[in-house]
Amino acid sequence: MPSVISTTHDTITKFTNCRLVKGDELVEQDLWVSSGTGKIIRSQEAFYSSHTVPTKTVDLGGRIISPGLIDVQLNGAFGFNFSTIPSDPSSYGKLLRQVNKSLVQTGVTSYLPTLTSSPPEVYHQALPFLGPSGSQRLASDGAESLGAHCEGPFLNPTKNGIHPLEVLTTAHSLSDLETIYGSSNLYPTHQNGLLTPPKIRKLTVAPELGSMTTLIPHLVTNNTIISLGHTAATYEDASLAISAGATMITHLFNAMAPLHHRNPGVFGVLGAAESVPRPYYGVIADGIHLHPASVKIAWNAHPEGFILVSDAMHLVGLPDGVYEWGEGGREMLRKVGDRLVLEGTEKIAGSSLPLLSCVSNFLSYTGCTIPQALKAVTATPAAMLGLQGVKGCLESDADADLVVLSEEIHEDGEGHRRKRLVVDQVWKFGGCVGGGDGDE
Amino acid sequence: MRLIIREDPASASSYIANYIINRIKSFKPTSEHKFVLGLPTGSSPVDIYKILVEQYKAGEISFENVITFNMDEYIGIPREHPESYHTFMYKHFFSHVNVHPSNIHILNGNAPDLEAECVQYEAAIKAAGGIDLFLGGIGPDGHIAFNEPGSSMASRTRVKTLAYDTIIANSRFFDNDLAKVPKMALTVGVQTVLEAREVVIIITGAHKSPALKKCIEEGVNHMWTLSSLQLHPHPMIVVDEDATLELQVKTVKYFKSIEAVAASQGFEQILPSRFRTGPRREGKPIEPLLPETEKEEPSILSPQPVTSTLLAAPATEYPLRSVTPDLVFDRMGSRIAAF
Repeated sequence: MPSVISTTHDTITKFTNCRLVKGDELVEQDLWVSSGTGKIIRSQEAFYSSHTVPTKTVDLGGRIISPGLIDVQLNGAFGFNFSTIPSDPSSYGKLLRQVNKSLVQTGVTSYLPTLTSSPPEVYHQALPFLGPSGSQRLASDGAESLGAHCEGPFLNPTKNGIHPLEVLTTAHSLSDLETIYGSSNLYPTHQNGLLTPPKIRKLTVAPELGSMTTLIPHLVTNNTIISLGHTAATYEDASLAISAGATMITHLFNAMAPLHHRNPGVFGVLGAAESVPRPYYGVIADGIHLHPASVKIAWNAHPEGFILVSDAMHLVGLPDGVYEWGEGGREMLRKVGDRLVLEGTEKIAGSSLPLLSCVSNFLSYTGCTIPQALKAVTATPAAMLGLQGVKGCLESDADADLVVLSEEIHEDGEGHRRKRLVVDQVWKFGGCVGGGDGDE
Repeated sequence: MRLIIREDPASASSYIANYIINRIKSFKPTSEHKFVLGLPTGSSPVDIYKILVEQYKAGEISFENVITFNMDEYIGIPREHPESYHTFMYKHFFSHVNVHPSNIHILNGNAPDLEAECVQYEAAIKAAGGIDLFLGGIGPDGHIAFNEPGSSMASRTRVKTLAYDTIIANSRFFDNDLAKVPKMALTVGVQTVLEAREVVIIITGAHKSPALKKCIEEGVNHMWTLSSLQLHPHPMIVVDEDATLELQVKTVKYFKSIEAVAASQGFEQILPSRFRTGPRREGKPIEPLLPETEKEEPSILSPQPVTSTLLAAPATEYPLRSVTPDLVFDRMGSRIAAF
């Protein structure tokens, strides 16, 4: 009976008795989503004009509905590192799909899969898999890539962090970038007569190297987002890059010159220099990369631009120990709790904290409200990506990517009572993909 | 006339909400025999809707077989406008209960032919078998629905130009900008309300006490359109103490005593049973107990509206006088002809 199948396919779910994250407030309001369109419904119009009534009602008992979380810097998860080409390269796509399905359970419904500095062949092999993946709008696909984020290799060798020095390079012309990433990954392509967006959504670059600052205007015309990071840029260099079209700073404070009162460095551009728009900036609130006070200062500097990122590595969820990392396992990483360091050094190698835990940390560091904290992983990254009204919000006609959260009070190691957010249910494109009833 | 006086707006609202719930329950609506409810918007009924929603969520009442007709809607603002009555009803009531959207009737202020919309609305009310209970509020000038002072007592659903006071009063919802306030509305007429089998009005607050006085202590007057209720056989006005400030002590005491006596005698001021259950279709099995209760009960202790029998024109138009279903249909036909 096809008619039955099609009606069950287009399920209208009404969430009731819930608090919606809207702007800086929690609003008590019902929310209707359609699994047919994958969007949030204009419920009043649907009710009056097409006599639509919900297929099912989910009573959330006062819990919070947040837009699905967006992680703009995620290096891998569940044992799969996006920058490591498996010994059988054809299994890359399959492994990625598994990661997407697991990742969505953590509340991250869309993300930028991030490649750390690698040799060109890694980009050529991995990027074709990492482009925007949501065109089918299937809930069962799990977390959706909004395009790849290439963190490197055009980075400053003095600020390399754990990026291998031998692959870092300098760009003097667009062709240098095309060679490393591949033109088909950097630019929109025509497929079956349709223009498909480029695989790469965002590049982290050091603007002071080579001709990078002069290349930025060309890159942004292709809708590529330029973020400044792993850079020794001065305040002046950074201001120039922002004027040229860079709109973000990658993991503020980390892998850049520290703020000095006479030489504010990259951080200085948050001070709203004359006629330069203030950029968005990513912050890792894992309790290791940054001191809580620095996180708080960063947030207060420009709350509208503040984005929490996990910068999580593929070791999230794995037990403590030493793991291979990098192309062909050239490097070794040691995981001690949430901390990841390069074996034999004390260099921080990324985080292994899920994004929602970063939000909970942020809540306790700053004492801000829950909607303010969630904004840093929903509305703000969506705005940075030019996806206002589509992702990161609960307005009508936005994609129905949702996370149902409950608040838990727990005691930290020092006996302080902390608020923690816990994922109860995850919905992608209007279908339940985790927790709750009726997994689809 | 039944005048129920309660201490404060909250208890007045809860009285009405419970009254409506009991009416619907004793009516025992089915998919063939639906309860038809007329509904208002405005600040006074908000608490009534809140209680109805609570009771629905508690499983006390279902609106599955309830048809609703709203009193009015602005002309020329989009349906999704935050101040539209569609939005009000959705926000306060319809989105929380199980009224099916196909059973909901709200005048369309954006209809291409507004006159046709009004004619159709009256026809829809007739097709639904008339309104069983019309709930309403009033303005400080005694208007019911958008039947502003000076509206004809025989008016039906139509386009109405709003009074200047109403526009000023409403401007608080439109950024205090008079230019943004709709100047016209569609509204059911006074006669449309009077044809309901029962009319229940909520009036609260000292600012409405002069209107209450005009409407119940003085004569029927088109400048106070609620006074038309004096011509209705089963009206009920529920007020708080503040709304009685302008009434004579005698009036207040009298209506309070009616309620007290009725309570002490063990019966309430309720409707004759044929109104409580609605006109059943012929051939429908009647519960064995019904003939017993079919007796004329001393259900209304308040003065019977003698005036209505004196005023020939409205009296002939009352469908609610009918005792048998056949008469209801006859009257409907004659109404269409008269119209």
